[in-house]
Parts: sequence; structure tokens; C-alpha cells
Amino acid sequence: MKLSKKVVLLGHFGVGKTSLFRRFVDNEFSEDYKVTLGVQIKKKVIEMPDGRELSMIIWDTEGHTEIEDTRKSYLLGSNAFIYVFDLTRIDTYKDLNKDLAYLAKNHPKVTIKVIGNKLDLVNEKETLSKFKEQNIVVDCLTSAKTNKNVQDFFLDLANEITA
Amino acid sequence: MTYQEERLLFNQKTQCTVVHHDGKIKETDANIFKWKVGTSIYDAHPFFEILNSFIEIFEKEETTYSFPCIHLEDEKIEKICDITLKVNAQEVIILLFDYSTKYHELNKIAQQKNESILKSKELELKNQYLLEKEKFKNSFISNINHEIRTPLTSILGFVEVLEKTKLSFEQEELARIIKRQSLHLNSLIEDMVDIAKIESGKIKIVDERFLFINLMEGFKETYSKLAEDKGIQFETYIDPNIQEYLIGDRTRVFQILNNILNNAFKFTEEGKISLSVTKNYQRTNKLSINFKIEDTGLGIQAENLENIFERFTRFNEDKQVSGTGLGLAIVKDLVDLLRGEIKVTSQPDQGTTFDIKLPFKFEITKSAPEKKKKKYSLPESKKKFRILVVEDEESTQFLIMKVLISHGSFFVDVAINGEEAVSYLERRNYDLVLMDLKLSKVDGYQATHIIRNNYGDKVISEVPIIGFTAKATEAERDKCLRSGMDDFITKPFEQEDLIYKIVKQIAKKAAL
Repeated sequence: MKLSKKVVLLGHFGVGKTSLFRRFVDNEFSEDYKVTLGVQIKKKVIEMPDGRELSMIIWDTEGHTEIEDTRKSYLLGSNAFIYVFDLTRIDTYKDLNKDLAYLAKNHPKVTIKVIGNKLDLVNEKETLSKFKEQNIVVDCLTSAKTNKNVQDFFLDLANEITA
Repeated sequence: MTYQEERLLFNQKTQCTVVHHDGKIKETDANIFKWKVGTSIYDAHPFFEILNSFIEIFEKEETTYSFPCIHLEDEKIEKICDITLKVNAQEVIILLFDYSTKYHELNKIAQQKNESILKSKELELKNQYLLEKEKFKNSFISNINHEIRTPLTSILGFVEVLEKTKLSFEQEELARIIKRQSLHLNSLIEDMVDIAKIESGKIKIVDERFLFINLMEGFKETYSKLAEDKGIQFETYIDPNIQEYLIGDRTRVFQILNNILNNAFKFTEEGKISLSVTKNYQRTNKLSINFKIEDTGLGIQAENLENIFERFTRFNEDKQVSGTGLGLAIVKDLVDLLRGEIKVTSQPDQGTTFDIKLPFKFEITKSAPEKKKKKYSLPESKKKFRILVVEDEESTQFLIMKVLISHGSFFVDVAINGEEAVSYLERRNYDLVLMDLKLSKVDGYQATHIIRNNYGDKVISEVPIIGFTAKATEAERDKCLRSGMDDFITKPFEQEDLIYKIVKQIAKKAAL
């Protein structure tokens, strides 16, 4: 049976949403920053461990510093939100808990995941301990550049939203 | 902007497509994308898979959904469209508005804006990283300085003790080498600390009134002797029109001139070195003084002159000439801090000239009382005076004991921390306490506070206390005096200086 699930990438601009999107869907990466205006949508067909096929429809939205500025219609019919922030820029996660509360309140049925991206630029151990101190819960630390944890993250998410 | 105006401005195209609830295209005008009737809209672009969820939740009335700025592409074309979906009981109407031109324009603006924000964030981060690195470096230097100074105090002190014993010629020579190398190490530490202080902005320029002529006489005395030893000439000229007393930072002026003179002596093996001090100009209570230091030494190659004030610059690879390459960098930083100017000219094998202009102030009316180091002597009431040394470092304890005992006028007891010092004072009368500041359990400040405040017995509460530490800072000195200490001495100390301070405090106490 073929399943289709909509996953939306959210977060500030320049955090690497498009890089994660391109890395997962096309296994490509570019150092150049190109702004995303509106939304780009791609489909990735994933073969699930139980033999089913999942069409993951990924919406790569333009970055906003305020989560409330994200166009509401982009979030309609979503199965999961991936909130991406940049591990090197505190301004991209200083309001994380507030933004997550906003999403959970307005979309209670949608799975929400948090990714700290650009892992290649920081020390993983130090970063995790800093987040623990600051009470920041992150589901996954990734590097779109090195492809670290990217595929595993999306495959785990696929399992979770189809369970 | 009205729809018609937008259409004119952006040459906007529209496409209307009607699809069944199962996704099959019922009709389309194919104005933008050449979709075919009968094919599935879900195959046209993944965006349209969203239709499923709207059809699933459809109830009775037609519902409209708007999606601005959606990137749509097929094998042939790529467009950025606003999309309106109208879902009713029978079908879904899809309206595409092609705003590619408008969005591409907006994209350029957004790209510029975001790029500049990201660049400034990147710079901010780099700056923060560098500041943290700098802070760590400065604190590292400050700590390592403290750790090195303590053993160095012992080395220098014991060499002095050793020099006073009967030594063979060879032993004397070895002791002299140890002393010279230790002094070199000490000056290296001082240079590093100065650089760290300058970088962290911790060097505060002090305006104090000082006997300028004394400072110059000091140079004359010290360097004339050195010149005699080296077999070269040392000439000085001090403009007699310069005021006797000036207001400025005596310590830093000394440091600047001493550094340049030191260099001149290092690199001059024959001929002469001269120090000429002249008045540049004088306005009301301000004056500028020109210090010219000329030598007939090695000189500097023209291509090296421009880098002369860079850190770790050493053009002479002769290892016999000691140096860290920090001296002139410190000089330049200090001259800048004093708002002065420094210039250097040089000819290889002929010599070098440094021209330094420094601003000073002077008092117009006040006549200057001469302040000389007052002489003190121990009271004759006792033959020997009892000193309590509070120090946890074994080698420093031993050194101080050696110095004091060999002087012949002191008995010495040693306590290893503040707590023990207080209990010693309760049991015995002391004439003076030499108090290290960094101690375990109760430190030097706390112990002083206890001694000054917890006892009615004046023999204890008014005992003279001299603090001593490896931290040679003004702040440390102030902290010592504020905590109730009578004086302060820095490690490594000159034996003469230590004895002078002890005698001074005992004499002052006896005179009360």
C-alpha cells in the first residue's frame, strides 16, 4: 500500500533547511547560500521495513525569525514539522521552546521534531552538554554538509509518522 | 495593486484546471503547464498531494485555500505561482497565477538582505570566538605568571644567599649564570604579563607627580656603569629648562626608556650611546618632552624597520643577544597609551636612533618638596625581633628564614596558613608578620582581618603586617592595604627591599 505524508521544514533563514532537504532527497550539497522564497516541494519515496512505500512530501519553507510569520496555509494537512536551527547561531534557537509551544498549540496532532544543524562546525559533546544546561531538547544533531545523521533522522521520522 | 495592474506589471499568466476527487484532470486551459485531461494531478507535482487531505476533510460547503509563492516545475518549465484551490462536493478547481517575474525580483532583494545579516552574524561569532580566545590566553598568562614567579623567587633568593657564602671561582661563575638566566626569565614573564595587560586594557595610565630629574639621574647612573663595563661611552643631556617635578606615569616612562636603552646597550659593542632629553613645547601647564636615544651599534636593515614594533620581532639571530621580541612592541603600545609618538631611524653598521615624544603636565605654582627614601633603623629596646612568616611554600619559607636569620636581628617562626598564624599570635608576641596572600584554609586577607578585628589585645591587633605575593598589580597592593596590612612586597623580592620594609614597619610601630 502506498502512503503519502507531508513533512514541513521550519526555522530561521540560513539554518540549512534547504541543504537538509537537498541532502535527503537528492544527496546533494552546496556551500552557496541561496534564499528560499515561499516554498519548494519535493517527494522522496521511502521503502519501509514492513514493505510499504511511503511518499514523503517535503515542504521546504522560507525562513522566518518569528514562527508566527510562517504562512498558515503551508502548515495545513501536515503530518510532521521539522524545526531546524543552526548550532552556531544562538539567535536561531533562543526562542525554540516558545516556538515549539506555538506549533504544538496550533497543530496538536502533528509530530514535531527538532534538528540542530551544522554539526560539522561545533563540538558535539560540548554542544549537548550546553543544551542540557539550558534545558534545550533536540531530537537530532545533523550536518547537511557531511550527511551526518541526515538519512537516519528522516528514516526514523518516516517510521514514526507511519506507525 | 489591482489584479489588472499586477497583470500589466508582471505579465502574469493564469491557468485554470478542474480535477475530480480522485485526482484525474477533468479540464484545463493549459496556459502555463501543458497538463493533459485524463491524467492524474498528483503526477503533475507533489504539491497537489495536499488535495487528498482537503478532500478527506471536505464537508458540505465549497472551501477555498490559498497558497502564495509555490515553486512548481515539470520537465520543461519552472514557475513560481500563487495557487488557489476551491474544493466542492464534485471537484477541485485549481487556479494558478504565475508571478515568477515578481518573485524573482523579490528573491534578489531577500538574497541580499539575508546574506548581509548572515555575514554580520558570522563576523559577530568570529569576534566573540576571538575575544574568548584572548580572554583565555590572558588568564592563562596571568596564572602561569603566578606559578612561575613563586619558584623563581626561591631561585633568585637562594642565589643571592649563595653568593654571600665562600665560593670557588668556578662556583661563583655558575651562580652568576644562574642569576643572569633567572633574571632573564623574570623579565620575560614581565613582558608577557605586560602584553596581556595591554591587550585586555588592564594597564591604567596613572597621573602622578614625580621628580623627573631623579628618574633621569637614575638612568645616567645605571647605564654609565654598564657603559664602563662594556668599554663604550654613555652621554646624557637633560634640558635644564625642564621642570624638576612633572605629572605623568613615571613607571611607564621608565619602562619605555629603560627598554630602548637596554636594546641600545645590547646591540652596541663599540662607540657610544647617548640619551638626550629636550623640551619640545610648553603650553600653560602642559609640556612635551623629546627623548632621543642614539647608538653606534649594529643598526637595522631598511626592510626590517617597518616591522620593528611588531611582536616577536627579532632581526638579530645572534643567540648571545638575549630577548623575547616583545620589548619594542610593549614600548610602542605604552607610547600609544601615553598619547605620545615614537620614530626610529637606522643605518646598518652605523647605528640606530629612537625619537620619542611624550606629553606631561606640571604644577605651575607649587614648589616641590624633595622626597627621599627615608632611613629607618631598628629600635634599640631589643637585641632581636620576632617575625612570624606565614607561607605555605617550603622553598620560600626557607629562603625568607635564611635572609632574616643571616641579617642577625630577627628570630623567625613559620606558620603555613592563616589559621595557624592566628593561633601563633595568640601564644606569642611578634614584632611583625610577613603574610603570604594565597594560603589554604584561611588566606592572607582573611587572617589580617581576624588579627585586626577580633582581638582587644593591641599586641595582636596592631602587629605590623606586610603582605607578599607573586601578583605584582596595583589592585593587589590596594587590596592588601584595604584589608589592614601595613605594606606590600612582590615576589621575587630584593633582599634589601625586604629588610628595608621590615625595619621600617618595626621602627614606625616603636615610634608610636
